[in-house]
Amino acid sequence: MAILDDISATLQKGKKKALLPLVQQAIDEGVDAPTILQSLLDGMDVIGEKFRNNEVFVPEVLICARAMNAATAMLKPLLSEEDAKPLGKACIGTVEGDMHDIGKNLVRLMLEAKGIEVTDLGVDVPADRFVSCVQEEGCQLVCCSALLTTTMPAIGTVVEALETAGLRQQVKVMVGGAPVDQTFCDRVRADAYTPDAASAARRAVELLEELTA
Amino acid sequence: MDMKNWVAQTIAGKEKRALPVLSFPSVQLLDITVRQLISSSDVQAKGMAAIAERCPAAAAVTMMDLSVEAEAFGAQVSVSEREVPTVIGAMLAEPEDADGLAVPAVGAGRTGLYVEAVPKARALIQDRPILAGIIGPFSLAGRLMGMTELMVNCYDEPEMVETTLEKATEFLMAYAMAYRDIGADGVVMAEPAAGLLSPSMMEKFSLLYVKRVLDAVQRDDFAFIYHNCGSAVEKAGPQIASLGAMGYHFGDAVDMKTMVEAMPPDALVMGNVSPVREFAEGTPESIRAAVPELLAYCGSYPNFVISSGCDIPPHTPWENIDAFFQAVDEYYGR
Repeated sequence: MAILDDISATLQKGKKKALLPLVQQAIDEGVDAPTILQSLLDGMDVIGEKFRNNEVFVPEVLICARAMNAATAMLKPLLSEEDAKPLGKACIGTVEGDMHDIGKNLVRLMLEAKGIEVTDLGVDVPADRFVSCVQEEGCQLVCCSALLTTTMPAIGTVVEALETAGLRQQVKVMVGGAPVDQTFCDRVRADAYTPDAASAARRAVELLEELTA
Repeated sequence: MDMKNWVAQTIAGKEKRALPVLSFPSVQLLDITVRQLISSSDVQAKGMAAIAERCPAAAAVTMMDLSVEAEAFGAQVSVSEREVPTVIGAMLAEPEDADGLAVPAVGAGRTGLYVEAVPKARALIQDRPILAGIIGPFSLAGRLMGMTELMVNCYDEPEMVETTLEKATEFLMAYAMAYRDIGADGVVMAEPAAGLLSPSMMEKFSLLYVKRVLDAVQRDDFAFIYHNCGSAVEKAGPQIASLGAMGYHFGDAVDMKTMVEAMPPDALVMGNVSPVREFAEGTPESIRAAVPELLAYCGSYPNFVISSGCDIPPHTPWENIDAFFQAVDEYYGR
C-alpha cells in the first residue's frame, strides 16, 4: 500500500511534521490502526539496523524515534485495548552519581518506539528509586546506564536492592554505557548487556517475551 | 619547542615512546582528591611532574577536564572527590538563550588556573613537550545545551546550534592562544560528541569550527592534536584528515589501523588501548597482552604512536599504568 510505504519512508527521515498528516491520511482512507502501527514499527526496525551498521547516527535515531512516538500517540485512541496495551513496562535511569544521559535518552526512545511503556527516572538515580518504581509501576524491565568507571558499581547496587526487595525474579535488568561490557554485566548478575540503543530495544523485546513465556 | 620537528623526529625514530592521555591518576601519586587536583595550579604542576618522573611518556598532558570551558560560560559543574568533574543541567533551551550567551574571557571560572599550571609544570618538566587539554566546539556546545538537545537541534534549530558553536569557537581560540602564549607546546582538543555524528554533520557542526581554532593557533612551535573517541569517526576519515593537525588521537571504539591509514603520513596518529577495559578494569597481564597486540597491528606504520584510547580515569591502578609502559619498552627492545 503506497500510503504505508510513504509513512515508513517519512518516518525513516525523521520528519515528524510530514509524518503526522500521512498517518491521518491513512486513517481517513480506512487503513486500520494496527496496520499503520506495524508500518511505523517496520520503519524503526530499518533505522535500528542502519544505526547498528553505522549508516545512520545518533541525531537521526533521535529524530526518528521522536517522530515514531508522536505518530504512535496519534494512533493510540484508535487502537483496541488489546492492540494499545504496551508490550511491557520498563524503568530507565542513569545510576547514582552519574549525570550523563544521552545514551539513556536514546535507549528510552528506542524502547518506546518498540511499544514498551517507559518511566524515565532521569540521571543520578539512587537504587531505591528503581525499586520503588518497579513496585509502583509494575515494571518488568529495569534499565541502568553508567558512563563513568566510578559509577558503574552503582549498577550492582541496583541489582542488590532488587534482590533485597524480593523483586529480582520478576524483573530483567538491562545494563549499558560506555565502560560497561558483558563481563561487567555477568559480574553484577544483570540479565543483559547491549552495546547500543537499537540492540537494547531488540533485546528488551526478547526479555519481555521470556518473562511472559 | 620546535613541534614540527618533534613530530618529524618521532615519525623517523624506530623506538617510539607512548603518549597516553595520563593526568588524573596523579591524585594517587600525590595522595589527594580530584577536587584538590582541579582546584590548584601548583598541585596540577606537581601531579604532572610526578607522572613525568614515573612514566617515560613522549609528552606531559595537562588535566583533560572537559567541564572547565562550559563552567567558564556559566554552566553548573558537579565536582567529586574521585571522578573528573561533570557539567550538570543545560544553560541554553531556546534560540534566544544562545543569542544572549556571553563569551567569557580566558581566566573565567577555573580556566585561568588551568593555564597557569603550564609554566609551573614547565619549571618541573624539561625533558618532553607539555600539551594542554581543551574541549572541542561541538562537545562544548553539548555541555551548554544538553547533549540530546544539541543532537536534535542540529535538525530542528541549526541556527541556534551555529550561534552556540560560533561563541564556543571564539572562546576556544582565545583559550588555546593563552596556552600558546604561556609556553605550552600544543593543545589536545577533545571533540568526542562529534564522534556521534554522520560525516557530513560532523563536517558542518564540528570540523569547520575545529579547523578555525587549529588555523589560529598551530604553528611550528605549537602543535594541534585532534582527539575524538567517538565510534562514528571511522566513516569520517577523509574529513578529519583534511584538518591539517600535527597529530590525531582516537579511541577504542574504532579500528586503529583504519584510522592510521586514513590520516596523513606526516602526522602522528595515536590510540587506542581501552582506558576502561584495560587501564581501569584490566590487569597488568591483560595490558601486557593488549600492548604488543596493538603494536603488532599498527606498529609498522612510522607515524603510529601507542596511547590510551581516551583520558585514563583517576583511580586506575598504577600497576596497570606501569605495565603499559613496561610493555611498550619491551616491544621496542628498551
